[in-house]
Amino acid sequence: MLRFFSDVWKNFKEYIVLVVLIVISLIILASNQKPAAKKISSTFFGTFANFASVISDALNITKYKIENSELQKKNVELMLEVSRLRQYGIENSELKDLLGIKDTIKYPITPALVVSKSLSSAQGTYTINVGRSDSVRPGMPVINEFGLIGIVYASSSDYSIVRTLRNIDLSITVKDERSRVDGVMKWNGSNLVIINVPKTYDIESGDRIITSDLSSIIAMPLPVGIVTGLNKVETGIFNEVTVKPFVDFSKAEHVFVIKVVESKEEDNLELNFFNRK
Amino acid sequence: MRSRYLWSIIFFFLLLLFQTTILPIIAIKGVVPDLILILLVFYSMQLGQLSGTVLGFVYGFFFDVITGSLLGTTMLSLTIVGFVAGYFSNENKRDLYFNNYLFVLIVAMCSIINSAFNSFFASIDLNTSVVRLLLNQGIFPTLYTALISVLVVVFYPKRSFD
Repeated sequence: MLRFFSDVWKNFKEYIVLVVLIVISLIILASNQKPAAKKISSTFFGTFANFASVISDALNITKYKIENSELQKKNVELMLEVSRLRQYGIENSELKDLLGIKDTIKYPITPALVVSKSLSSAQGTYTINVGRSDSVRPGMPVINEFGLIGIVYASSSDYSIVRTLRNIDLSITVKDERSRVDGVMKWNGSNLVIINVPKTYDIESGDRIITSDLSSIIAMPLPVGIVTGLNKVETGIFNEVTVKPFVDFSKAEHVFVIKVVESKEEDNLELNFFNRK
Repeated sequence: MRSRYLWSIIFFFLLLLFQTTILPIIAIKGVVPDLILILLVFYSMQLGQLSGTVLGFVYGFFFDVITGSLLGTTMLSLTIVGFVAGYFSNENKRDLYFNNYLFVLIVAMCSIINSAFNSFFASIDLNTSVVRLLLNQGIFPTLYTALISVLVVVFYPKRSFD
C-alpha cells in the first residue's frame, strides 16, 4: 500500500502539488473578507511600503522642480477661479439664508503621496503614505486635482492601500451631471462602465459623470469621468455606458484622502455596502 | 540549490519594488510589463516544474498581500503559470531555450494564461465575455511583457554549463 502511494507520488507529484495549491488558493479566495486576511495584508504591505517610499521619494525629488512651476501656474488659474466662485458663494449663502437652508457640509482632507502602484489590468491599487496614525480609515475616498481616484481599502499604521477605479472589486454609485440619472459604475477589466442602465435613460456621449449622493461610500459630488459611448446590448432593455475617467491612473502621484468617515458608528453605518462583497 | 530558492525570493521582492515604483513611469496606456511573471518563468525553467508551481504560489501570495489584490487571485494564476513554465525545464534543452527567442514565446504564452485568469475574475459579475476581455486587455500586456523578456535572452550567459 505504502509502495503504491510512493509510486503515485513519484509519478504524479507535480500534479498533486498543483491540485493542492489550487485548492488552497480557492479556499483563501473564499475567505477574503475575513479580518485575519486583512490583518495579514496590512502587515505585509505596511512593511513593503517602507522600502517603496524610499525609492518613491528619491524619484520624486527630480520631478518636484518641474511640478513646482506647473503648480504655480495652476495656482494663479485657481486663484482667479476662486475669486469668481467666492462671489457665487456669497450670493449662494445669501440666497440660502433667505430660504432658511443651513450649509453644514465640510470635508477635511489629508494630502498623501503614492509610494507604489499595482497597475494590473483587473485589480489596480495604490499604496499611499498615510495610514491609521493620520486617521485614515477604509472607505475614505481618494482624489487628486482631476477627480476621484478610488477608495481606501486597508490601512496599516503609516500606509494605506487604495483600490482605484480600475479595480473590478470596486463599485460606485454615480450620476450623470446633466440629466441627474443614477447608476452603478464598475471596472470591467478594460473600461469603466455604468451597468444596467435602462435604454430609456437620458445619457449621452460627452456627459460628465460625478459620484452620486445616493452612494453609501461617497455621498458628495466628486468628478469621475466623461461618457464616451453607449454599448447597445443587443438583448434586453439595458445599456452599458462607457466612461473615460478624468484621472490618469498611471501618472497620479500626489493625492488627497477625504476624511468622510469620522466615527466608528458612522463608519459601520456608512460602510455597510462597502463591506458587503 | 537552497541558495537558488533564497535568491528567487530576494529577486522577487526587488523586482516587485521596481515594478510598483519605477515601472509605472514607463507605463503605456496604464499597462506595465509583468516582471514577476518573467522571473517566475525563468525560475520554473531553471528549477523544474514542482519548484516552479510552489514558487508561483509563493509569489502570488506575496503579490496579493502586498498590492492589496483580491487574496488568492494572483496565487491561483501564478501557480498555474509556474506549472506550465515548468514543462520547459528540460535540463538538456534549458540552454537552448534561454539562448533562443523560444524563451520569449514561453513568456508570452504564460502571460496569456495569466491574462486569461485576470479576465475571468474581471468578468465574473459583468455581462462581458472572458474572450473579449482577453482580446482587449490581454494582448498588449502580453506583448509588452514578452518584449521586456528579450533582455533575459540577451543577458543570459551563453556558455554557462561549459
